[in-house]
Amino acid sequence: MQRKLMTMAEAARLVRSGSTIAIGGSIIRRSPAAFVRELIRQHVTDLRILAFPAGFTMDMLAGAGAVKRVEAVYEGLFQFGMAYNFRRGVESGKIEVRDFPETSMIARFRAAAQGVSFLPTDVLLGTGMAAHNPEQIREITCPFTGRKYHAVEAAVADFTVLHGYIGDEFGNVQYPVQRDSDDIDPIMAKAAKRLIVTVEKIVPNEQILRQPNLTYIPHLWVEAIVEAPFGAHPLSCDAYYDEDEEHMYYYQECSKEPGRFKEYADKFIYGTKDHWEYLQKAVTPQRLFQLSVR
Amino acid sequence: MPYAGDYTPNELLVVAAARELRDGDLAFVGVGTAGRAFTLAVGIPIASARLAQMTHAPNINIYWGNLLSPDLSRIPPKLTQHHVTTWPCAAQMAHTGDKCDMLARRQFDVCFDSAPQIDRFGNLNITAIGEYRRPKARLIGCLAQTDHFAFVKRPIVLTDLRKRTFVERVDFITSVGYLDGGNSREKAGLDPGGPWRVITDKAVFGFHPETKEMQVLSVHPGVKLEEVLAEMSFRPALPKQIPETEPPTAEQVRLIREQIDPHHILLVA
Repeated sequence: MQRKLMTMAEAARLVRSGSTIAIGGSIIRRSPAAFVRELIRQHVTDLRILAFPAGFTMDMLAGAGAVKRVEAVYEGLFQFGMAYNFRRGVESGKIEVRDFPETSMIARFRAAAQGVSFLPTDVLLGTGMAAHNPEQIREITCPFTGRKYHAVEAAVADFTVLHGYIGDEFGNVQYPVQRDSDDIDPIMAKAAKRLIVTVEKIVPNEQILRQPNLTYIPHLWVEAIVEAPFGAHPLSCDAYYDEDEEHMYYYQECSKEPGRFKEYADKFIYGTKDHWEYLQKAVTPQRLFQLSVR
Repeated sequence: MPYAGDYTPNELLVVAAARELRDGDLAFVGVGTAGRAFTLAVGIPIASARLAQMTHAPNINIYWGNLLSPDLSRIPPKLTQHHVTTWPCAAQMAHTGDKCDMLARRQFDVCFDSAPQIDRFGNLNITAIGEYRRPKARLIGCLAQTDHFAFVKRPIVLTDLRKRTFVERVDFITSVGYLDGGNSREKAGLDPGGPWRVITDKAVFGFHPETKEMQVLSVHPGVKLEEVLAEMSFRPALPKQIPETEPPTAEQVRLIREQIDPHHILLVA
């Protein structure tokens, strides 16, 4: 097994402006927030983003002016409200968006994971999504039954970025037994061309070897693994910590207008040199203890 | 069973939704953004499923987020992540793809949806107001609401009756209802099915068996039919007899307040 351990800055330097990146997690859970802040610090821009539900991380990138296009099933912050940076971007014509319902977005990632260029789905018949996106959604007929379907284009990303729980220096990433897997990270990992995973903790390889059935991302799929404790903050990481509600409400308020978002970004992203400095600014030891569920 | 002397509008909606659930149903509950949207998309559906379980339909299962058959007798005091992670349930599959496969295989009986726009033929829009590529207001996308209307047997829409919500034609079709009415849904290649009920704060609607136009099924106690029509941008089909929506019983209200939502985390707004 080859060593894949990198620093956050090294891993973020792999991602070039203009790339397509698939971002994992789900809205306000286990999305790679620390990694995305580092991308913003490094001024990576002009990104096409693929996600299942896109939330906080995509909205930060949109606020930083780094997004040119989004393809996802949802954009918002769940109970914290709308993704305002993204909304402004779409309404002003700066961000292009193409919508896919859940079954079809999963089909797109599965196509990429299986090495085929499309998969069929019958979820898009009659919809506006199909009518407005002939580039990626095309009607086909089943050669066996004559039934109507749409072919949806494989979701092929240049880079895939996920946040996980524990992993070793070789890039084996494991689940905890009790978790909330309401996302498609395992499918996105399999679909990845160049996979970067941040984890809560790097553990000895020996610990991974003892329970290999918990490995959901094997080392061979991974290009870089990065240790990032509280790496999803202010989002939750199930089995590790809850969402930081105060911070999320504050973010949501700030994101309502560009000037206030800039203040937020200057303080928490550009104004911190790395994830450790971010944590120092964003939380107190007491707050970390409150959020932690371990 | 005596009717409740006093009940809140949300309690009436919980009871009206529970009445549509049948024993043995598998129901899909989605996510909702903050405030009222959360109550409509998450709170009322979970409360109504539990109420149905406690009364006429003990064998209802729900799939909420990644929780299949969460124990609704133990709704957590908060819905923050760890409470969700540890809510006792029958299964948490390895990823959401499994749930979507069950959807596409038509294994769900009921689902709950809400929308900022719904039209005469029950098409929903949660994607964009105005032009798709340069919208006046960008909304939230699709989620699984498209999948619901395509694959679920009896979709239930929960939304407040407002003129700007009940429009002649949606700006964008996120979820295909009865498309242009008649048999246009089937012609487009979709299964028969489509939206089953539209439950609002003023009235309950269904769809005409032939024309597929939205039609008034009942008007809530204390609400006049004119008030219902005044909140709609199109005129729905009006059967000759329009009964009053059956109000909650005292027992149903007691169950909701004391056992189902004692912490007020479901019926929040």
